[in-house]
Amino acid sequence: MIEPLYIKGDRWLHRLPAGYKLAALVIAGIGLFLVQNVWALAAAFALSCVLVWSTGVGAAACWRQVRGLVWVLAAIGVFAVVFQGWLSAAIVLLRIAALVGLALAVTLSTRSSDLIAICERALSPLDRLGWVDAGKVALALALTLRFVPEIWRHYQEIREAQAARGLARHPLALMVPLVVRTLKRAQQVAQAIDARGE
Amino acid sequence: MKTQDTVLIALFAALIVVLSLVPPIPLPAIPVPVTLQSLGVMLTGAMLGPVRGGLACSLYLLLAAIGLPVLPGGRGGLGVFFGPTGGFLFGMALGAFVTGWLARSWVRAPGESVRTVLAYGLACIAGGIGAVYLIGVPWLASVTQMGLGKAMMAMLVFIPGDLVKVAVASWVAWRVERVWPILRESP
Amino acid sequence: MLIEFDHAVVSTPHSQALRGVNLTLDQQRVGVVGPNGAGKSTFAKLLNGLVLPTAGRVTLDGLDTRHDIKAIRRQVGFVFQNPENQIVYPIVREDMAFGLKAQRLPAEESAQRIQASLDGLGVGHLADRASHTLSGGECQLVALASVLVMRPALVVFDEPTTQLDLRNRNRVARAIAGLEQQAVVVSHDLELLQDFDRVLVVVDGQIAADDSPGPALRWYREHCA
Repeated sequence: MIEPLYIKGDRWLHRLPAGYKLAALVIAGIGLFLVQNVWALAAAFALSCVLVWSTGVGAAACWRQVRGLVWVLAAIGVFAVVFQGWLSAAIVLLRIAALVGLALAVTLSTRSSDLIAICERALSPLDRLGWVDAGKVALALALTLRFVPEIWRHYQEIREAQAARGLARHPLALMVPLVVRTLKRAQQVAQAIDARGE
Repeated sequence: MKTQDTVLIALFAALIVVLSLVPPIPLPAIPVPVTLQSLGVMLTGAMLGPVRGGLACSLYLLLAAIGLPVLPGGRGGLGVFFGPTGGFLFGMALGAFVTGWLARSWVRAPGESVRTVLAYGLACIAGGIGAVYLIGVPWLASVTQMGLGKAMMAMLVFIPGDLVKVAVASWVAWRVERVWPILRESP
Repeated sequence: MLIEFDHAVVSTPHSQALRGVNLTLDQQRVGVVGPNGAGKSTFAKLLNGLVLPTAGRVTLDGLDTRHDIKAIRRQVGFVFQNPENQIVYPIVREDMAFGLKAQRLPAEESAQRIQASLDGLGVGHLADRASHTLSGGECQLVALASVLVMRPALVVFDEPTTQLDLRNRNRVARAIAGLEQQAVVVSHDLELLQDFDRVLVVVDGQIAADDSPGPALRWYREHCA
């Protein structure tokens, strides 16, 4: 049910190894905060737009990811203009937009499975130390992906059942049955896993 | 950590995903429609305890980070973590842990209904609001160069909605724990 | 497998789920019926150690469920009542591979076994489907395939058809009838058990009747209907 945000493609950004992109993102993050020049930040923002565009993302998908941020930026912008002046506002907004844009470009051009592989590599020393069981982490990740659609479906079923009984279709009233069924499900799933040995 | 614990962590992470994706609810007298994401986080902490709750919330954040649209509005990916509201996400993982810790310490065996709900309520306030804003507000302040005081004031508009969620989470946690006690046996 | 119950008792602080069960099972098809809450599920779960006896013991081919649980679970498969909560991975193929992981087979053999197991139950086409898109009956068949891919000697079913519609119930019934393995089936579906070798009737935690299907089901209908 949950489709990754990754856009299939073969451009150069897609082909760059995930580890490099993450490292570049972190460096950019630090760098952008050290830069105070509005033109440099504008250039960074323009670059991030180009990178996002180069992933081949559709306008609707892009807007959905950016929509929430636009409102936040508007509020921040108004605030900054009033208290700090136009230049400061421009610097703050461009910096945030550039960084979020770069991060978005990385997300759109990198497979979830590649990022998971990086997490596995990061966890493996802890696994060897015995602090983290990598197998259990992988299982937990799979279980979550497996059951999101089922829990969503159950949420819809409860809504319909309550509507049929004339109760207010308010999400908050559905919480108890949703949580109870999730707990019950957890018990059954755990038994099924145990029954299959390791 | 038994199989049961791993499964609970995974399923509650899935529950937080589902609650995040429910369309925001307009509440009377509250200017901004509320999402159920933080409700999910509070419930997860209250029901699973600190370790499982914190891990479940972290798993949820991991799903968002690897590029799945599990944040409210179908958002996801690294963008939110690197933006002005990123601190609130990290704050949620801490919040689940704190809520779980306090709930487990304060909630006695069910029976005393008012006292139990209040205990859950305080745990949710400390974790779901306190811890979240503790990380989120300074992060916001430094990213926007707003200054701590002004950032805090900007966030005040969300507090009433958060308090409603605290009430709901406490009530639900109390109701469920009565029929299905799992908090007391949490690691 | 030779299954032996030796004065097996299962009690909880609130009740006695099973009191003193003493019997030996080695038939190919064994059915278990009884009213709700009688202890049928508990009886079934004793066979793979999901429930351990609080007194007495349960052994399979000499292996004791209290000590040799891993060895037992390699030979005993279990199919549960709820179809969707047995499939643990998002894609069918991944879920089947999960059970095989412990056996550490080479990838090609693993893939072959998985496909063969699914094909054997008529659901080969589901190998790359998303788990949440399966119907109840398909879930149950995939769950059975996941169990069979591990090549158990015995398969225990706990009310496998209770949550299924008629068509899917028939598919699962056919699958059970066609199994090479030994099977113990707990069910409310009396028709499912009528060609079995032996049927146990569990009432109030005890074996009230133990006979071939005809007489046992007749007893059940007379006393528990």
